[in-house]
Amino acid sequence: MTVVEQTGAPKTTTPGRPRRRPSPLGSKWTPYLFLAPAALFILVFQAVPLVQEVYLSFTRTRLLNPTRSEWVGLDNFNRIFGDPEFHRTLLITFVYVITCVIVAIGAGLAVALLLNKKFRGRGMARALVTVPWAAPGIAVALIATWMLNAQYGIVNRVLDAVGLGVPGGAILDSSRYALPAVLATTIWQLFPFTSVVLLSALQSVPQDLNEAATVDGAGRWATFRAVTWQVIKPTVGLLALLMTIWSLRRFELIWLMTKGGPVGATETLVIDLYSQAFDSKELGSAAAIGMVGVVISLIVIIGSRLVARAVEKGDVR
Amino acid sequence: MRRFRFGVTARIVAVLVVLGVAVFPLYWMFVTALSSNSDLFADQPRLTPDLGQFGVFVDALAEGKAAGWLLNSLIIAVGTMVLSVGLGIPLGYALSRFSFWGKAVLTVVLLFTQMLPEALMVVPLFALFRRFELLDSLTGLVLVNSAFVLPIVALILKGAIDGIPKELEEAARADGARPFTTLTRINVPLIAPSIAATAVIAFFHAWNEYVFAVTFIFNPDLQPASVGIANFIGELGTPIQTVMAVAFLFTLPAVAFYLLVQKYVVSGMTAGAVKG
Repeated sequence: MTVVEQTGAPKTTTPGRPRRRPSPLGSKWTPYLFLAPAALFILVFQAVPLVQEVYLSFTRTRLLNPTRSEWVGLDNFNRIFGDPEFHRTLLITFVYVITCVIVAIGAGLAVALLLNKKFRGRGMARALVTVPWAAPGIAVALIATWMLNAQYGIVNRVLDAVGLGVPGGAILDSSRYALPAVLATTIWQLFPFTSVVLLSALQSVPQDLNEAATVDGAGRWATFRAVTWQVIKPTVGLLALLMTIWSLRRFELIWLMTKGGPVGATETLVIDLYSQAFDSKELGSAAAIGMVGVVISLIVIIGSRLVARAVEKGDVR
Repeated sequence: MRRFRFGVTARIVAVLVVLGVAVFPLYWMFVTALSSNSDLFADQPRLTPDLGQFGVFVDALAEGKAAGWLLNSLIIAVGTMVLSVGLGIPLGYALSRFSFWGKAVLTVVLLFTQMLPEALMVVPLFALFRRFELLDSLTGLVLVNSAFVLPIVALILKGAIDGIPKELEEAARADGARPFTTLTRINVPLIAPSIAATAVIAFFHAWNEYVFAVTFIFNPDLQPASVGIANFIGELGTPIQTVMAVAFLFTLPAVAFYLLVQKYVVSGMTAGAVKG
């Protein structure tokens, strides 16, 4: 797609054309002059590699000898879709993404409503609540791993103290608790973002409407549904889209906490793709797994656009 | 009246719980860094930092490789910031002020790149880097990080330029200013807050980046802090206090700068996503 874009760009440097005074908008090549360096950059580092990756997904290519790739058509796709482990990966990805979307937005909304009321120190509270989102993923993975440490981690000490301790304490080594632990860490990092975005959306809720509804005797929940929710609905939709795409591509937090284990319990598509490429050294299969992820993202994006358009047309309000 | 009082108290408690959850892990990183060994492995761990142990931060920087890692991270981050903002300003300007053939496609491409995982691109980029001898070089990381953060930078800056009245530029053009002069003299000063926000985003995108750094850098002297700290996970040789001290020094600037510009970052990111 960018290729088309690029063919126009170099022409801007065509020499020999006499320089004339700029017309109100400059020459018709002016925009290309402004965007050419950036477009070239994105072409070289994103578009071309993506096309190569698409090609790789139809080949059998080994990491150890990557220049020799053999065209195998749809073999990689047939194999991964026939593999029960890949079905589990898809299921875990689905659970991970859906949980991130629902809990991050739900928690974010609760926090946003909480911080939307006036109280002393509100500015300070709003700033502090964004701390998790600002923290680097690497540092988050490190501190989470330490807090979940089987022997000395604070989480186990607290859980033991209240009698909810996991036997042996090795939460990240347990196929039952590893995914919830990774999810909790992910959501801890995400909820500040959703709450700050929702908080700014809440600023455009008309207060007089809220008051009118309350005066009319509507309960809090009814008022929320009738007034607040109507205003923040588009923002919630946007956040759902962002959370889905971010969760589908999240790598380092999961990789550093569990490497997808134990026995695949936290293996999402991106983790599977990375270990196929660098542990199993199968670049073709890895690319095929990546393509599945890209197609899922595309479906989500296009689907959300269609839904948004239908909502716009359907009901005016 | 009593119900009202109860509501206020419940609200204060709820706010404090939320803030506790938000801040505790980083507080715990700080406390762990400043714990003596006996506190760390005691049955009852110490819950407050032992400020007498403050030397751990000095030691973490003086011994070992942490100072070198942070310096490498700084070089990569500054390079990425300069390059991506430098390329993002003209791109955002073109998207905001001109209608041209291919604009819709370009916008879709910019949004599309937001969904590509780094882990997917690492294999073909590795081949590209080998061909251009960019493996084991900080320049290579600057280039690839810039390419990945450039779309969001450009979309945020486009949104910012959209907000400037066109009349200002038209006045400058009427005086014979070229488009580039108009951009640097009129638009850039007016969108300075957004430029600062994108600079912070780009800086910390590179500061935090891990996948490319761990795959493209083999020379330990060129490792950035993200890779150095990640290597601590599951490794047992380094005292946990040192590990946490380095991680804290790595985290602190990211948190501090985000708090400074968060207003612009959030509005920019959502605007970029909405308007596409």
